[in-house]
Amino acid sequence: MFASRRAFLCLAAAAAVAPPAEAADGPAAQLIEKAAADVIELIKTTKGAELEAGIRGVLLKYFDIPYMGQAALATHWNATSPEQRERFLKAVISSEARAYTERFSKYGGQTLVVARVSQRPNGVSVVDSKLNQTNGQPITIQWEVRDTGQGLRITDVKIEGVSMVMTHRSDFNSYISSHGGKVEPLIDELEAKSRQPQ
Amino acid sequence: MVEGFFKHMAIIRQSALALAAAAALTGCGDTGVNEPWDPLEGPNRFVFSINRAVDTIAVRPVAVLYRDWMPAPGQRGLHNVLENLGEPVTAINEVVQGSPGRAATTVGRFLINSTIGVAGIFDVASRIGLSKTKEGMGDTIGYYAGVEPENGGFYMVLPVIGPSNARDGVGLAIDAAVDPFSIITFGISNTAGWIYAGTRFGTTLLDRRSRTLFALDDLEKNSVDYYAALKSAYTQQRADFIRQKRDKTGPRAELEQRDKVALVR
Repeated sequence: MFASRRAFLCLAAAAAVAPPAEAADGPAAQLIEKAAADVIELIKTTKGAELEAGIRGVLLKYFDIPYMGQAALATHWNATSPEQRERFLKAVISSEARAYTERFSKYGGQTLVVARVSQRPNGVSVVDSKLNQTNGQPITIQWEVRDTGQGLRITDVKIEGVSMVMTHRSDFNSYISSHGGKVEPLIDELEAKSRQPQ
Repeated sequence: MVEGFFKHMAIIRQSALALAAAAALTGCGDTGVNEPWDPLEGPNRFVFSINRAVDTIAVRPVAVLYRDWMPAPGQRGLHNVLENLGEPVTAINEVVQGSPGRAATTVGRFLINSTIGVAGIFDVASRIGLSKTKEGMGDTIGYYAGVEPENGGFYMVLPVIGPSNARDGVGLAIDAAVDPFSIITFGISNTAGWIYAGTRFGTTLLDRRSRTLFALDDLEKNSVDYYAALKSAYTQQRADFIRQKRDKTGPRAELEQRDKVALVR
């Protein structure tokens, strides 16, 4: 219930103590800025099903969904058939598109500002950004960007320190282990969820 | 009141070190840093389901009403008052964490906001550049414990309060014990103490719940096992907070902080 009790408070401190923004104009930062610009354009010009279709396009264009899906399934990935993987990824894309559509439908003029990019030794770029809200504290968002063979792609999003991939991994793994260690029930559940009316 | 902090300080420092050692010894699940250690999953899920029922019936509806009907300045005011009441505990923790400069800022914030800010309703201190921090004993233990901050000992779901773990649960108990306000009110009489504690708990619950409505609704809707998703999100967020603190409290950050304070004065 108090999951994010310190988030808002810690932000004030983080914003105050954070080092001055370094010039962030590398390709990783550009990718994030472009994705954010695309999303804002979509929100301004479309809504409902059209917006959802647009968001899905953004997810496919900027994110490496297969990479994220594999990371989320973790060890269970190897136990799934190619057909199951395809259904799983399709269901994940649908549910993410829907989730983001709903989050963005409450859009009220927030702006995403890229603060700095740090390069990890393993080739992963971490893009720190702040989502500035019209009222209330800015939200910290970190983007994990890497070249997965088809150019730079987003492979994880951390909002207030909470990783999308990691949270899904715990969520999926727990569901799998409470359903006989099989991936099939999870795929069924995700597909059922993506068919539910909003 | 300031003397009060330091009187408790020695005791707290000792217990924090002891706890850090205890956490290092006992807090190691062998499940790695990614999955929180949850040996009490059965009881936890039971408490979680009761919490959810209470939330659905009572807490959430009140929080929604509060968010939608209480004017924004009122919500902000109550939030500031509650935050102000937490400043002494934050200052104590900052002293224990070895940042006396930061603790002094917090005490300064508390003194300014309690007086000029009318019992904390207005966060005047932030406006003059004294930035807000919030530290609990859970953070302090995490700061000193020589383990990955994802490892907070076993995960536990507390009644009403919700997600916690060994580290943060112990932290909450110590914070409550060293809170000057509860020491003072319980010093007056038991009744006064319980009225203070109950009122503060209730209003804090309302404030926090109204602020987590969006995030928790979102998490619940977009997960297949809400218990597991919340456990993961809680653990990650706490770890992120503690890790930032560990990274930041190098000598350089301390200097930057001192420069900031110097600029203000």
